Amino acid sequence: MINLRGVNKKYRNTYALKNVNLDIQKGEFVFLVGSSGAGKSTLMKLLYREELPTSGNVYVSGVDVSKLPDNKVPYLRRNMGIIFQDYKLLEKQTIYDNVAFVIRALGVSSREVDNRVKSALKIVNLAHKMKSKPNELSGGEQQRVGIARAIVNGPSLLIADEPTGNLDPQTSLEIMEILDKINSRGITVLISTHDHAMVNHFRKRVITLEAGQVIKDVQAGTYG
Amino acid sequence: MANYLENIRPKISITQYRIALRVLIETFKGIKQAGIVNIFIIGTMAAILMIFGAIFRTSMSLSSLVNELGNVLEVSVYLKSSADPNQAAEQARQLSHVKRVKIIAKENSWENMRKDMQLPNIKNPLPDTLHVRVDSQKNIKSVADNLSKQSYVEDIRYAKDISEKIRVISDISHTATVIVLGIVGFLTMFIINNTIQLVIQSRKKEIEIMRLMGVSNWFIRLPYILQGSLYGMMATIIAIIPLSFLQGYIMQVHRFLGIPNSENSYWAMIFLLFVLSMIFGALGSLLSIKNKLKT
Repeated sequence: MINLRGVNKKYRNTYALKNVNLDIQKGEFVFLVGSSGAGKSTLMKLLYREELPTSGNVYVSGVDVSKLPDNKVPYLRRNMGIIFQDYKLLEKQTIYDNVAFVIRALGVSSREVDNRVKSALKIVNLAHKMKSKPNELSGGEQQRVGIARAIVNGPSLLIADEPTGNLDPQTSLEIMEILDKINSRGITVLISTHDHAMVNHFRKRVITLEAGQVIKDVQAGTYG
Repeated sequence: MANYLENIRPKISITQYRIALRVLIETFKGIKQAGIVNIFIIGTMAAILMIFGAIFRTSMSLSSLVNELGNVLEVSVYLKSSADPNQAAEQARQLSHVKRVKIIAKENSWENMRKDMQLPNIKNPLPDTLHVRVDSQKNIKSVADNLSKQSYVEDIRYAKDISEKIRVISDISHTATVIVLGIVGFLTMFIINNTIQLVIQSRKKEIEIMRLMGVSNWFIRLPYILQGSLYGMMATIIAIIPLSFLQGYIMQVHRFLGIPNSENSYWAMIFLLFVLSMIFGALGSLLSIKNKLKT
């Protein structure tokens, strides 16, 4: 599903990623861990082509995304779900509209939008709050809306950049359980985090980055 | 997912129609979001377009006036007594920009003058004359200069000053139209560009989410481009109201001076205003949004 080959990313004179080689199979649940500045976010941005590698190849489903023409990038992203630490919800829109507005833009029919949004909200246990506005929800609930939006288009890969960074341990656990549930449906999940407790609790594959390099890659691993 | 580039590409069908509908919804959402600013933008643009329309319409009217007067103006050529009027007329017809040549025999001229001024029956002192009409007012001077060099010509007369003044006025009005057109284009794009930048700023998060979720750049751009175009269109509709009064006044002047009414010029002006304002509006938006969107 994801293959990185000799990937380097350099910002001016600093390497954010240095000779990274990585393979993630379809359906895996992977934690990407490391301290701040280790290169986790950069690696994730390479996957959805928000950044380009300085050298090396980044393959997603066999396609070298670093060589993907600009006009094809949206097609790559439609097959991914991206979850952000700061949720990135539209405050003036309802939860339903927040989840719906991207698939509406993709030309999905109203009935199909309705089905998909309700089903996504059900997965994150927020079906009862679809008419609320984001500011009426707790941080955890807002992140669940972010997850619903990420899965509403039926992606095969879910990328979550520090999804529990702003949440308390209990809420973080709930979020991780939802992501685990989504993974059990066959969706590949890649989560960047530096939450030791969470990583140790789930015992999934753990890839550790340090100063832009992969220093450890362990199945059912721990962190810290 | 391996073939996602093929699988996800939307088919040209009802999906495209839905996307177009969504683009329109987003466009009106953008206009709604701009709120009271809309009134300022449309008002300012309408004022600019009105000034341009007025200058353009007046310039067109002046052009038809110039053409009419130009047709009236002709060069009078007085022939030497030794010259054969028919031969001279034939030679004059060969000159470039000469539209028509009429021979006024000296006997006729003298007969008319004698009647008008009640002169005694003396020897005819008048020469044979050619009335030379020129194809366009701007060529009068060159034709007159050419005629004065001919061997059969004793003297020539034409309304040099009037001709020159008309030409200058016509040139000035044409130049003013071009300059004002440039200013209109710049101002329209400047106003729209700034407004759309504000709208984009207020919808920055929305744009970022759409971009990261795989919405195509054209879907994101189009509502802003349409918004700019719609501003241009609405401003033109408002500008037409005072311009229709101007049109009425111009028609009166045309009737008074006996110049053919130019209804077509009015519709040409309206068409031009719509096209220009919508194009400049769209361009202003495109420039704003293009800088804000990377892949």
